[in-house]
Formats: sequence, C-alpha cells, structure tokens
Amino acid sequence: MKRLKMTSFSIRFPWIIMILSLVVVVLFGAQFPKVSFDNDPENMLAEDEYIRVFHNEVKARYNLYDFVIVGIVNEQHEDGIFNVATLGKIDDLTRELISLHQNAEGKPAVIRNGQPYAPALESESGWERGLAKVFGNDVNRLFTDDGSSAIISPEIISPSVVDNIKQADAGQLAIEYLMEEAPTTREEALVIKRDAMNNPLYKDTLVSADGKAIALYIPITEKTYSYNVANLIENLTADWDDADKIYITGQPVAQDTFGVEMLVQMATSAPLAGLAIFLLLLFFFRRFSLIIAPMLVAVISVVATMGLLIGLGYDVHIMSSMIAIFLMPISVADSVHILSEFFDSYHKFRNKAETIKHVVSHLFRPMLYTTLTTIAGFASLATTPIPPVKIFGLHVAFGVGLAWLLTMTFVPAYIMLFVRKKTLDQLKPVEQSDHHGLLGKTLGGLGKVSYKRWKLTLALTMAVLAVSIIGISKIKVNDNPVKWFTQSHRIREADRVMNSHFGGTYTAYLTLKPELIQTLTCAERVEMMRNAAIVRFDETLPDASATFLALLDETNTKFQTLENADIERCFVDLVGMAKGLDEQVSGAWNELGDEINYLEPEGLTYAKLTAAINGKGDEASRKTFAQRMAAFQSLEGADLQNQALDIIDEYAALSFEDFLFEARADAGAPTFKRPEMLAYVDRLQAFLSEVPNIGKSSSALDALKKANFELNYNSAESEDRNDAFYGIPPTPSAVSQVFTQLEGMKKKDSLFHMITKDYNEVNIWIQLKSGDNTDMVEVVEEIEDWMAENPPPTELNVGWAGLTYLNVVWQDKMVAGMMNALLSSFVVVLIMMMVLFRSFLFGLLAMIPLTVTITFIYGLIGWIGKDYDMPVAVLSSLTLGLSVDFAIHFLERSRELAKEHGSWKDAIWHMFQEPAMAISRNAIIISIGFTPLLFAPLVPYKTVGFFLATIMAVSWIATLFILSALITGLQKWLFKNKETTNSH
Amino acid sequence: MKKLITVLAAVAIASSVYAEMSVDEIVKKANEASYYAGNDGSAEVEMKIIDKSGSSRTREFTLLRMNVEGGNQKFYVYFKKPADLYKQVFLVWKETAEGKDDSRWMWLPALNLKRSIAPGDKRTSFVGSDFVYEDVSGRNLKEDKHELIETTDTQYVIKNTPVDPGSVEFSYYTVKIDKDTFLPRHAEYFDKNGKHYRTVEATKVETIQGYPTVTESVVSDLNTGGSTVNTFKNIKYDIGLKENIFTERFLRRPPREVTR
Repeated sequence: MKRLKMTSFSIRFPWIIMILSLVVVVLFGAQFPKVSFDNDPENMLAEDEYIRVFHNEVKARYNLYDFVIVGIVNEQHEDGIFNVATLGKIDDLTRELISLHQNAEGKPAVIRNGQPYAPALESESGWERGLAKVFGNDVNRLFTDDGSSAIISPEIISPSVVDNIKQADAGQLAIEYLMEEAPTTREEALVIKRDAMNNPLYKDTLVSADGKAIALYIPITEKTYSYNVANLIENLTADWDDADKIYITGQPVAQDTFGVEMLVQMATSAPLAGLAIFLLLLFFFRRFSLIIAPMLVAVISVVATMGLLIGLGYDVHIMSSMIAIFLMPISVADSVHILSEFFDSYHKFRNKAETIKHVVSHLFRPMLYTTLTTIAGFASLATTPIPPVKIFGLHVAFGVGLAWLLTMTFVPAYIMLFVRKKTLDQLKPVEQSDHHGLLGKTLGGLGKVSYKRWKLTLALTMAVLAVSIIGISKIKVNDNPVKWFTQSHRIREADRVMNSHFGGTYTAYLTLKPELIQTLTCAERVEMMRNAAIVRFDETLPDASATFLALLDETNTKFQTLENADIERCFVDLVGMAKGLDEQVSGAWNELGDEINYLEPEGLTYAKLTAAINGKGDEASRKTFAQRMAAFQSLEGADLQNQALDIIDEYAALSFEDFLFEARADAGAPTFKRPEMLAYVDRLQAFLSEVPNIGKSSSALDALKKANFELNYNSAESEDRNDAFYGIPPTPSAVSQVFTQLEGMKKKDSLFHMITKDYNEVNIWIQLKSGDNTDMVEVVEEIEDWMAENPPPTELNVGWAGLTYLNVVWQDKMVAGMMNALLSSFVVVLIMMMVLFRSFLFGLLAMIPLTVTITFIYGLIGWIGKDYDMPVAVLSSLTLGLSVDFAIHFLERSRELAKEHGSWKDAIWHMFQEPAMAISRNAIIISIGFTPLLFAPLVPYKTVGFFLATIMAVSWIATLFILSALITGLQKWLFKNKETTNSH
Repeated sequence: MKKLITVLAAVAIASSVYAEMSVDEIVKKANEASYYAGNDGSAEVEMKIIDKSGSSRTREFTLLRMNVEGGNQKFYVYFKKPADLYKQVFLVWKETAEGKDDSRWMWLPALNLKRSIAPGDKRTSFVGSDFVYEDVSGRNLKEDKHELIETTDTQYVIKNTPVDPGSVEFSYYTVKIDKDTFLPRHAEYFDKNGKHYRTVEATKVETIQGYPTVTESVVSDLNTGGSTVNTFKNIKYDIGLKENIFTERFLRRPPREVTR
C-alpha cells in the first residue's frame, strides 16, 4: 500500500530515521543561539503601516521619546512629597540619571556625591542571572552603540530640570528650573510646591494635585532599554526609606518587562506543560518506554519549529513565544492515536511491525486529514495583516506538518528499536482491563444516552448555541499591554497607584494641522489692512487715514492686474509710501521725541529741555507740546524726561509704517500664532477635560497662557487685572513675542514638543488613565464628534499618534483579520472534509463539533466579560484545528464500524469502546496538560491555559455526544448508500 | 654668518615672546580681541537657527555694544525680523566685578511690555538659538581655570575648567586661539560624562577698521543635531555711542543708531 511506504521504510530502517531525526534536532537546535526577542506591540503592525509611519513622523517632528515613568509617592509626611528630604533625594536621583556613563570597565556608572558609583545591576538570584545569560538579556546594556547613555538627559522631566517662569524680587521676571537646588528648609520646599501647582503643564503630570506624588519622565533612545533603565532606577533608589515609595510604569516598561518575563515563562511553562502531558501519558499507557515516543515527537517538532523561526531571522515575539505551547498538544495528539490503537491491536498480531502497519494503514487517512485541517487552520493566520500573527501561524503549520511526518516515521522506528516485545506482552492484560475500567464504562453509558436521547441532546445543544450567540454579541474587543500582567504584579500596582495620583500614564498625541496653509494674496492682504486701518486711524487721523486708504486702493488695483503678484513687493511699495505719510503726520513729533530721548536726565530741567528742542520739529508741535507740559514744568531729571516722552508718544504713536509691519505680521502669521486658532485649541482642551477617560491634556497653549500671565504680572496692580492676562495675547505678533520667550527658556526647545517650529501644527499631549483600547476609541470618537459640531476657524487635519492609539489600530486589524482567517479556513476545512468523506453530509457533520466549540468558547468569553485580545483571537485557529481532529476520527471510525456491523445502532456500542477511548485520552491529556499555564504570572498564558482546557472539554463533548446524536438522527441518510452496497 | 645669527636671534626672540606669554595673558588678550574691540561698535546680525532636519528660522537684529568702566559692557539688541518680532529689544548690562550680576531688560512691543529679567543662568538659549547669552556677551574669565594644553604653529589650545562645576552644564571646554589675532576660533564643550557635545566656531574673520573681527560664527549642538549661524554685517567700531541709549527709556523708543 502506498500510504504505508513511509512507515514500512521506517520499520525496516529505524536507525536511519533516528539519525535523520537527530540531524534535524541538531541542525535546527544550532539556530537557537542566534535568537533575538521582540516584545514591542508596535510590531503588531507592519513597518510601513500608515499609522506607524505617521506615529514615527510625529515623534520625529515634535522630538518625542518613549518614557520610563518613575513615580515617587509619600503618603506619610504632612507636606507629602514636598519635604526637604524627599525633594533632595529626587534631585540626587535626577543628577545621577543625567550622569549615567560607561566607566573604564564598560559598566554603567553614575556620579553619586561627586564620586563615580557603579551600581550592581545584576539580579541576586542565580536562576534569573542564568536566564538572563541564556536569553542574552544584559542588564548592563544601558548605552547605544556609540557608547552614549540610553537616557536622553537633556529631555528628562524632573523638578530639577524643568523650566519655571515666575516673579522674582523687585518686579523682575525669573526664568529658572522649578527646583534649581534641593531645598534646605520647609519654606523652600513649599515654594517649589506652589510653583509646580501654579503651572498647568506640571500639575497632574509632574506633580500630583494632592501633593503626595511626583512623576519623573525619563526619555530613552529606544523602548528596549526601558526594562534596564527601570532596573537601574530601582537599584539607585534601593536605599530609600519606606516613606518614599517608588513606582515605575509607562507602556515601554510594561512591554519590556513583559518580554523579560515572557522568557521566564517560555523556560518554565512549556516544560511544565510537557511534564504534565508526560505524566498523563504515563498514567494511561503505564510504560515509560512507550510514551517517550510522543514526547520526543513534541520536542523535535518544537525544536525544529523554533529553530526554523530563529534561523529565518525572525524575532521571538509574544505570539511566537507560545509556539511551543500550541504545538505540544497537537503533535502529541497524533502519536497518542497511534499508540492507543497500537495497544488495542497488538494482541491480534503479536508482532510489532505487523501491528504498526495495521494501525498506520487504518489511521493514515484520518491522520493526514486532521493534520491538513490543522495546518489549514493555522496557515490561514497568514492572511491576517499582523506580521507576528502571520509568522506564528505559518510556523505552527510547519510544526504540525513535521509532527505528522514524525508520527508516521519516528514513532514506528522508535517502537521497533526501543520497545521490547516482552513489555508489550506483559502490558496487554493491564490495558485490556483498563478498557473496561471507569473511563470505558462511563463512555459506554454516555454513548447509550446520546443514542437513545438524541433529540434531547440536540435540543440541549441548540439551547447552548443560542445562549452562546448572545454571549458573542457581548464580546468586547479590547487589549491593554499593562493588563497582560496579573493584578498583583508590581507593574499593575504601579499602574494603579500612578493613575490614581496623576492625569494618567497612557499617552496619546492629538495633532492638528491646517488642511491648507493659507497664503493670502496681495489683494486679500490689502483688504485686511484696509479694514484694520479704518479701525485704527479713521477717528484720530481722518485726513491721513483717507490718504492711506487711497494708497492702499491704488496698490490693490496695481497688483490685481498682475497674476502671482509678489507679496513682498506689494508690501515694500506700501512701506515707502507709509513712511512719507508718517513724516507728514507725526514726523515733527518724532523729531521732538528723539531729541528729548537722547538728553542726559541728570540735572535736566524744563528750561534745559525747551532749549534742547528749540528749532526741532515744527512750530505747531512745539506749541502743543509746551501747552501739554504746562502742568509738569516743575519736574526734573528722568521724571521730566519720561513725562515729556509720554506726551509725545500720544501724538507719535500712530505710525502708518508700524501699522503696516503689524499688518504684515498678522496676515502672514502661521496657523497657531493666530489668536482665534489658539482660542479654538483652548475650547478643545476645555472639552477634553470633561471627557471621562482623559486625565489631562497639555499643549503649547498652556505654556503660552502661563507665560503671558507671568510676563504681564505686576504686583502693584489688582488681582483682576493680572488674572485677565491668563489667556491668549490679542494679536499674532503678541502671541509670537510670548512664544519667543518660551523658546529661550533654560530647557531649550521644550516648547517644540507641543508645537512645530513653524507654528503651523500643534500636538496636544493627552494623558489617559486607562490603556484599554476601548477607552482610547471612545476618546477618539468623542473628540471627532465635538470637532464636527464645533468646526475650527480654519479647517484642520486631525492626526492621532502615541502608543495607546497604535494599540487600537492593530486591534482593529486583528479582529477583522482573524474573522477573515477563521472564515476562510472554515471553508477550506469544509471542502477538505467533503473530499475526505466523499460525502456532503459527512463533510458538514465534521464541521459541527468545531462550530459548536468555537461558538461556545466565544460565547463564554462574551458572558464572563473577558476581553477579546490577541491570545483569545488566536485561539480560534487552534480550536478549528483540534476540534475537527476529533470529528474526523470519530466519523471515520463510525462509518467503518457501521459498515462492519451493518447498522449504526450496532456500531455505536463499539464506537464508545476503543475509538471514544482514544479521543477521550487525547482530550484529557491536552486539557490537563496545560493546567500549569494557569499559574503563570502573565495573563495571556493563563488565558491560553484556561481556554485550551475548555476547548478540549467542549470539543470532546461536541464530538462524542452531539455527533452521535446527530448521526442517530440522520442515520437513514448517512448510511443509506452503505446499506445498499452491503445488500448487493 | 651674521645674517644667520640675526635670523636665529629673531627666531629666538619671537619664540621667547610666545613662550613667555602666560596662559592668563593669552585668555585676557583673547577676551579683549573677541569682545572689547574699539570703545563701542555696532553690527547687523543675521541669525539662522537650523534644526536636525535642515529647516531653519531666521532672525535679524542690530547689535550695539559699548565698553564702560571696569571692563563692564552694555549691549542693545534690536530685532528687525521676523515681522512678528519687529522692534523687540533686549538690553544687557554686563558686570565683570566679583559678586555683581548682569542686568537684563526686554521690550515686547506687541504687548507694550517692558520687563526686567532676574539675573539667572547665563547659559540659557539666546532667543531660541543654539547660542547662549554668554556666547554673545562673553564669559567672565574668573569663572574658569585656564590651562595651556598645546601650542601649535598658529594656535594656542586652552582648556577651561569651571571653578564652580555646579553652575554650568559642561565639565570643561577647550578653545583654539589664533596666535596672530588672538581671536578664539574653535571651542569644544564636553559634558559631565566627558562627551563632546557642543562646538562654537568663528568661521569667518575679517579685519575691520584695524580690528580682526569675526563675521560669521557657528554653534553646533551635537546632541540635538541643530546649529545656529550668525552672520555679521555693517560692522562699525568707535562710532561714539552715548551711554544713555543703553537705558530703559530707549526700549520703547529705539535709538537712531538702530533704526537707521
């Protein structure tokens, strides 16, 4: 027989198979040292995915970095975090982090108390050190290739190095760091608190509103340094007393920590699962020498698959780290079928080779098909748009294929070589009794029920399906990398604490840019100037104003005839004319003013002043001036001079030239120097503050308003007058002049994290208290709705970036992608089944257990409120692959037995003997085998463990009972042909 | 033979002149050459701030400087461009005496606002450029310890280490000073980890009214990848500025020296 060729060869030349298997293990195993890991959820999206490209563009445009967030909380001190000791420690820590460098030995060192200090960063636990070594995770890796620090020191956000603009003594304005020096007295500490709380950029971001916590934001060059940076910080703060608690959080840390712990899981969970499977096999088959074969099949498949993945240069991602866990049950399953059958049939042949041939010829077709369907299920993941899932699916498919090949060759070869005949002879009676043991009896009884009560069974099934479908409608698609950790994990704890004190540790960036950057034509500018000029000059200087308007109109006509008129040129012409007009209107006054301005104030009297201006200006202006000065002739020195200049300014201030310059600045102002656009951002932020999931939003506008207030603050004036300046300056030029002050702060360019250097685009930093995708999606929708209802003065293009938003995008893709993959593989498997059974009806029947299982599982997920996240999504393909296997075996044997015994009624009793036994063993082995996963500290592993067990249990029930019941109901049609054939 | 002796003697004298010059004298002369030429002076400056991506912003201002008693100086900076900074003014009184702080004022015309600024850190950015205030007005010689670390054919190389390391962001900086003009040509700043992170260069030098003068200087920030280029035009020395134009009164009503 053709199908036996491979197996016969293996029986004849078992050593060749053994050697070949060894070669495979060595070859693929040799790839392992090249392993590299990737735990960045960003990579769920392809590199060239639009949103990723955009996210990186935003990061580059605004110089944004990924942060490690260090929370320091003091609940004990009466002043909270703002006490001398804690602030001192924060200052020291900041300076130590800034000073991070490589010492002569190439180890990380900081400057502590003026001395280099190299902290011992390696774990004290030998096990962790060993793991770190194996996985190439070096905690001392804190430097880029050129040896510079992974921490971007100039961008650290800490009280010691963030700008503060405030009122200093004698009406001066001070621009300094929030905490120039660590405070030495309570008063100094409280000044820092007051300053921080008064800065909208810092309250709820840098310092908590309750004054109990400070968050340092440590920017890093690459996300992959975050675990090591967190480790460094933990080390540097190890000697802090209990009053000051340290919490390290932020998405990069969560992701990187996950990666590190994922390795631990890979090194523990998978072997533990293997061990559990092994023990169960031992329980069922009682002979160590026999069950070692399926274990070896699993190990070889896993090693080869991981070796292939690594050898092909793929990173081990969160998904691919689970390959071992997915592959193990599948690869064991086939060999368990063979073993099961082998046991049951051995006594008939009393010859290993003959028994194997019998078993394989018997199981070849169902096993080939179960393998092909499993491959189809996983390979369909290649159609998803998510690279790590694609790679995962294809590699598992490869592993499944390999496991099949090994089952057909390696298992027989193994039996031939290592299972002694004697063992088998002894074993048989034990096995025989087991057949009629508890499991066997239970199965037999259940078989009767599903035959006699098939209608009830089907009715129950329908009810379960109905309930499940309602459950599915309740499914919430959601993921949050921080929730990959269990509740009690320190990352989750830090997340809870930090988000209770601050505006939120989850970051999204809302960027706004004009749809079109307006460039006004010459005519439009003239029109704007015309209107402004009327307001400014019409009442005060009616004659000159008329002349000026005439000039504007003239210019307008001149340039309107030209297409693409040079705007600068139209301006230069006007300035020349305006100068002339100024000379006529206020030239005399300016001459007087200039003369007075240059006078030496010392010893200046009114007489000296009049003497100085004699002959300057014109008769009329001097006369008016003298009249206006009449009351001030007794003044002397600088007072006299200032009074004189104030009077002159009233006449000289109305300059057409200045007006033109202003008008030019206003007309050419970039989008976000225009007060009406800034006012829009202000309204938007006011709205953001009301969105429930948003803890805080920060923008350049917050900095602008604060700076405008401080610049204009005058202690001699009323509070109302001062408070009125807490807002947007009135003109683009005024906005610009305030922004220029912010450009020249101590921490250079920090303004440009929130606005582009051309002031045409802004970036609003949104802090969310939750990283759940559903919350992010809600925020996006609310903002879109608001903007649709409140259109901006200039049409704006809205763009989202930030890790929290990126997660949403890949989630959307994943859900749609998984749905497609599931549907397409369902169709493929259905066709395969019809071909396999050469029957439409049998083909459909084969799909029933998996349909019931998938429906039930996702219904369950919906009902218990578990989020549909990545591991859950991937489970659908596993279910498809495993459930259909049971069905294939069951149907294949049913058909055979029905044929053999003439009717389904007689066959079903036999069905619930050996075939049901094999299926049950498999189900039990796999579901119990994965219970160790339930104890993993990482939620995705727990999820997989729990659902694997559930899937097995449900598939088992669905196959044995629902299929039996269905066959019973449909036997007339199912076995009609057979009966006719038999009667011939 | 006689000729040879003369040449040798000349060389000996010349080299002894260089050899005898102490490091303090070198830095003093360099300071005078770069910041104190003439009694006063004016220049038009174009400041081009270039970022990593190559896009740039340009500012134009007129700079007036006057030397007053005791090595003190007064500066008046009057902005002409961009349009929205037109007429903005900075006024600085630089104090060199120990324990005395500089005084600074600014005038923001669009806000009709005159503000005195507390004497803070002189190493903050000058109007958002890569230059710091100290680059514009000069760093007090007493704030650093100076060492002559190398003498080449044409230059002295001086290493400057701050007396109070906590007051500045660098750990030291080196300056190459031209022997002939005493103009500092190339300065490199090193951070606390010993990494070179900032360069200030005098890229063009011309002699104006007998004074060797830097007409183009460039600062590069190696951390950010940004740089700023200052181009000086219409440089004039000894123009007879009156000291009273460096007063608050001239903030609102700028002197003719800058408006013309």
